[in-house]
Amino acid sequence: MKLLVKDVIKSFATGDRVVDTLDNVNLKVEKGEFVTIVGPSGCGKSTLLSIIAGLEKPTDGKIYVDGREVAGPGPDRLVMFQESALFPWLNVLQNVEFGLKVSGVDKRSRREIARHYLKMVYLSRFESAYIHQLSGGMKQRVALARALALNPDILLMDEPFAALDSQTRSLLHAELETIWEETGKTIVFVTHNVEEAVTLADRVITFSARPGRIKKEFHIQLPRPRNIETPDLGRAINRVMEELKTEVEKVVKEELDSDWAVEESALLYSNNCRMGSGL
Amino acid sequence: MKKALFFILIIAGWEAVSRTGIWADYLFPSPFSVLATLFNGFKDGTFTIAIIASLKRIFKGYLLSLAVGVPMGLLIGRVKFFSETVGSLILGLQTLPSICWLPLSILWFGLNEKAIIFIVVIGAIFSISLSTEAGVRNISPLYLRAAQTMGARGWRIYLEVIIPGALPSIITGMKLAWSFAWRSLMAGELLSSGVGLGQVLMVGRDLADMKQVVAVMLIIAILGLTIDRLIFRLLEGQVQQKWGLARL
Ligand SMILES: Nc1ncnc2c1ncn2[C@@H]1O[C@H](COP(=O)(O)OP(=O)(O)OP(=O)(O)O)[C@@H](O)[C@H]1O
Ligand SMILES: [Mg+2]
Repeated sequence: MKLLVKDVIKSFATGDRVVDTLDNVNLKVEKGEFVTIVGPSGCGKSTLLSIIAGLEKPTDGKIYVDGREVAGPGPDRLVMFQESALFPWLNVLQNVEFGLKVSGVDKRSRREIARHYLKMVYLSRFESAYIHQLSGGMKQRVALARALALNPDILLMDEPFAALDSQTRSLLHAELETIWEETGKTIVFVTHNVEEAVTLADRVITFSARPGRIKKEFHIQLPRPRNIETPDLGRAINRVMEELKTEVEKVVKEELDSDWAVEESALLYSNNCRMGSGL
Repeated sequence: MKKALFFILIIAGWEAVSRTGIWADYLFPSPFSVLATLFNGFKDGTFTIAIIASLKRIFKGYLLSLAVGVPMGLLIGRVKFFSETVGSLILGLQTLPSICWLPLSILWFGLNEKAIIFIVVIGAIFSISLSTEAGVRNISPLYLRAAQTMGARGWRIYLEVIIPGALPSIITGMKLAWSFAWRSLMAGELLSSGVGLGQVLMVGRDLADMKQVVAVMLIIAILGLTIDRLIFRLLEGQVQQKWGLARL
């Protein structure tokens, strides 16, 4: 077992209120496994990733990587954020080199490593471009190269492709899948998009609404690479979506006025449409 | 082109007014007599010596305020204790024109070089600190988190993320601080003594030689503008090229 999340509880104190965000989350991830987490907005998915990354301390519970307790952030567990978080003052190559530079790799070898990974994401030609000159998809490719360059065992991805159009996203799915198969990384991938979750995952985990806890697991054993023509993919998506629907409803009920029920059917319908739109 | 035409018109107007004779020539010198004064001043070296003396002072004062102001801004922006103490003090002091410090400065340092440099430092340092602080505060937390997960710690975070991330704001502050420093220098030189542009201007006044006064005014304006263009435009241009910010 690569990663173990044990009895993690997280609550935030905001002013005089305490918000329970994660309630007793337990998760085991095997080495080389691709796990995706889906759940309604605000259920604590990003918080869980931050805790695994060591950027945030759990209120209670522990994280273990290879049996050792996680004490803080480290380059063995890299996070890729929804917005690329690339540094605008560095060019593409320098961004990819960043982690190697702070860990003291000498200039020649880090340049070589960075170029290798830029090639892997097909951006060799843009190595001296600045970040504002890149499209959204290119930015996420650079962010992926930057994460891979440090050769982490675990990649934590927080809705990395959410802001992209569906064609670019499918392209990046295929590339990520190839890279994952080649490098054998362990990936924990958070998303809103059920179709994305099912297409990529060995295992999909659904989260319940506030406070976030793991509701159900789905093992996806369809052959890869998966696409719209993969038999049974649609059925798997529907099963996960069905599971999520009740949770999404719960959130909406909590947040909206009571006369919302009138529009319920319409809203769920459009929700389904959006979730399937990437197909 | 438009600009050149505009300045030619101004000079022509200036010449025309001086020809009407509303004011006597020693009160309102013609552009050509000012030009002649400039030429002579450079030829006999008075202007050159004064320019060098003034520039030396401002560079000393400006570099000192950078060396102190940037770290101070970093501390105020990152450490709560400093923002609550030094930060609020600076906000208060910033509203005070730096020349008000002259009497104290002369008492502390004597009627010399150091007293004027002190005025220059006071004039520049607060806007450098405050803009550094603003730059530090506005860095996206995402950058810090990304740097942390990639293994950056402690001073490396400052060197590799916080300072470069705050740089656009720091440069804006440096530019503002330059104009404050320049004004402070002139005020200090006018009111105290020692070789310098301010002093040459005061000598002109004492001799009732308005040609000299206007000539020095021109030098001061052109020098300030040139450095602004040469150094700060260049720095801003580089930042814009990297960050893709619109021209301010
Ligand atoms: N630093 C914080 N201080 C206070 N509350 C926080 C903080 N971070 C997160 N929360 C709260 O924790 C809850 C979960 O946030 P989180 O960002 O983990 O949700 P999420 O599942 O990633 O949502 P989304 O899908 O919209 O990204 C939210 O209700 C949020 O208000
Ligand atoms: Mg999130």
